[in-house]
Amino acid sequence: MLSRSGKILPLALTIASAATAMAAFASPASAFSLNPDAASPGIEKINTFHWIIFVVTVIAIVIVNLAILRAAKPRHRHVQSESTGGGRQMRVGFGLGVVALALFVTATVFSSQAREVPVGSSEVAGLNADDQLEIRVTGQQWLWRYDYPNTAFSYHRLVVPVDTTVALNLVSADVIHGWNVPALTGKAQAVPGKTNSLYFRADREGVFTGQASVLSGQGYDTMQSEVAVVSLAKYEAFVQRLRAAIQEAQDSVVATQQKELREAAEETPTGEVEPQP
Amino acid sequence: MSSFPTVMPPTRPEVTTGDSPDRPGWARLATSPDHKVISLILISAAFGSVFLAALELLLVRLQLVVPENVFLSAVTFDRLLSVYGATAIFLFILPLCIGLLYYVTPLQIGSRGTALPRLGQTGLWLFILGGFLLYASFLFTPPEAGINPLPPLSQHIFTPNNGVDVWIASTSLVTLGILLLVIDLLVTVRNMRAPGMAWRRAPIFVWTATIVCWQIVIIAPIFLAALTMLMVDRQLDGGFFTGGVGGAPLLWQHLSYIFFTGAYMAVAVTMLGAISEIVQTFTRRQLPGRRAIIGSLAAIALIGTLAWTQNMMTAPIPGGVKYYAMLLSISLIVPFGLIFYNLISAVASSDFHMRAPLRFAMGALSLGSVGLAAEVSQSTVALGSQLQQTYDAWAATHFALIGFGLFGGFAAVSYWYPKMTGRMLDEDRARISFWVMFAGTLIALVPLFGAGVEGQVTDSFRFFADENVSLFNLIATFGTLILFVGIVLAVGNLVRSHSEGATSTPDPWRGSSLEWLALSPPEPHNFDVLPDVRSVQPMQDIRESLVRREAEQEAPAGEHQPVA
Repeated sequence: MLSRSGKILPLALTIASAATAMAAFASPASAFSLNPDAASPGIEKINTFHWIIFVVTVIAIVIVNLAILRAAKPRHRHVQSESTGGGRQMRVGFGLGVVALALFVTATVFSSQAREVPVGSSEVAGLNADDQLEIRVTGQQWLWRYDYPNTAFSYHRLVVPVDTTVALNLVSADVIHGWNVPALTGKAQAVPGKTNSLYFRADREGVFTGQASVLSGQGYDTMQSEVAVVSLAKYEAFVQRLRAAIQEAQDSVVATQQKELREAAEETPTGEVEPQP
Repeated sequence: MSSFPTVMPPTRPEVTTGDSPDRPGWARLATSPDHKVISLILISAAFGSVFLAALELLLVRLQLVVPENVFLSAVTFDRLLSVYGATAIFLFILPLCIGLLYYVTPLQIGSRGTALPRLGQTGLWLFILGGFLLYASFLFTPPEAGINPLPPLSQHIFTPNNGVDVWIASTSLVTLGILLLVIDLLVTVRNMRAPGMAWRRAPIFVWTATIVCWQIVIIAPIFLAALTMLMVDRQLDGGFFTGGVGGAPLLWQHLSYIFFTGAYMAVAVTMLGAISEIVQTFTRRQLPGRRAIIGSLAAIALIGTLAWTQNMMTAPIPGGVKYYAMLLSISLIVPFGLIFYNLISAVASSDFHMRAPLRFAMGALSLGSVGLAAEVSQSTVALGSQLQQTYDAWAATHFALIGFGLFGGFAAVSYWYPKMTGRMLDEDRARISFWVMFAGTLIALVPLFGAGVEGQVTDSFRFFADENVSLFNLIATFGTLILFVGIVLAVGNLVRSHSEGATSTPDPWRGSSLEWLALSPPEPHNFDVLPDVRSVQPMQDIRESLVRREAEQEAPAGEHQPVA
């Protein structure tokens, strides 16, 4: 009876670890790397930090579980009661405290570095005094709206220039939405009535997507955050095109309205001043 | 084996309480203010709920078995997920913890009942009402705004049906019921300890009860206030959590996460307290680190609850608050580490017999260690911003809560099962169910760490083939099926042993605290004679005095005087 349970535990552990390893290595991007396609310095730092924490965590889990296995191993012997006085506990507590402190310092250093705002490098139109490109991101059920500096806006896809510090100011028009582009920024909530800020600087071009991460209703699964990182020239052309399109749309609206007003004004007198026979 | 009597002497008629035996059984159950009856109803309801929760989890996982599955619609998925969360937290883990504390603590302090029995009874009925209300919602509209229904999504304009109202009513009834039970227990532990049981002599589980009760007395009213505000918002056009004008959606996150984080810690503290009792009994000597364990439990309850903003690493709150939560979470390593160290070293340096309670306790420590390590790593600001709201966070929380809640719960219930029912739990079936559940938990949750690191978000009713998470989800669903079978086996064992198990003696494990002095199951008044407590291990003293008295009298076995 005791020997049987001794065999099942390694079996279960082997199955679980083999299945996980299989799944991890079967997927193209290795699951042990947080963001294999990291495209900003901040996320690369988070990747490094994740590796350190991952290794530390796995070592801690393995040590604890080996100790549990060893302690719970079936045996028939009489153990002399060891001296487990206060001194030993103090030592262990002290050791653990040091470990925790070290972890905390590591975490603080790396986290603060990961959230550090890199200095922008371009002089694109729209950069403010701090050399940041400020973009207002509005979540609504179930898409994102992006307001660029100087009246340009777009839906669904955010276009930003490469090697430029971008500040996203996230707000929401209805419920809480979760902004999430793992390769560039990580997650942030867009909460109604509050502005959440994110900074990133993409260091290569490409299209990066992520799934919205806070349940926001029935269309939640289709809500994507999508960022296209392009060259500075392309970004400027894109914004110019947006502005031109918006200007054209506004002009056409104004023209249509003026035309309607004019027609109404022309029709009304002719209708009233019908010459009597 | 000493000559401890296998059958306790009959109770004395003059102290017998309780009502007349000619009333039907259900009426006696329904109207009894006896803490043991109330606790048994709570614990039975918890194990009924764990079956429902596991079934709902299985349905949720079946929807996520392949990419773009069409087994469930988005609304049905959200409803199952919301009901799963409410069932697992409010109908399973919390009542199980409170039921165990409410059953064992009055016995351990040598009291004949609780201080405010009608308050406890009211609490039980509020809990039952809340539970029925949640499942009655399947007759019209179940809640659909998620495990934690964040406003403004849970407000009337975005979720106009009755689902969220049911969630509010149900969770507030259960929370209020638990609060009443806890107040009763707190007053009992404060006022009704046996003569000589100073705090320094109180068993670890009595300390656990005090810590958990104080914690719930603080966090439950906060949650009730938040629920009231949400109800006012929905029904009376209140505007507490409305975005923009006058309200703050973030307020709900703070208030609800204070409760959820506190409840999480209450579960961990309760079950670690129970596991400490089990380890102490099965290693047959006083735990060497008794004071360290009690202090650590208090520290976990305090620090863990204060670190509620670790759930809000992506919310628009000041960065300093996030670092503060990270510091608190990381400092939790120390109390958890001390408890793990003391328990494991106590088992390692002893001669024990592996029985169901100790096996489940070791399983709880093993799975809990994985969950806690993952939780701490996610409480760092950098990783929190990447991994929160993914299946990595889901797996960490489930490892900790399945480890402490489910395995710790089975450990505690199988330890006190002889006391509660007068029967022994079937050892072979318990062992099989343990290994099925253990393997199921590992296979169900370990792959989800991978899926979370790949970026799969929770709460979404489907995922897509290009996310590279298909195989993880397939394995996790398979593991959930195994876990479900294991839970059915374990709960079935509890039910079957109730009628088929071998009859138990009052003190089958040779425990050291006073609940083993009472009969199995105890009489309504618990004890004929209130014992005089002289040490941390009063039951040990009673056994020794029996042996001494026997030696003095040289009486033949089987003719003992009443104990104590």
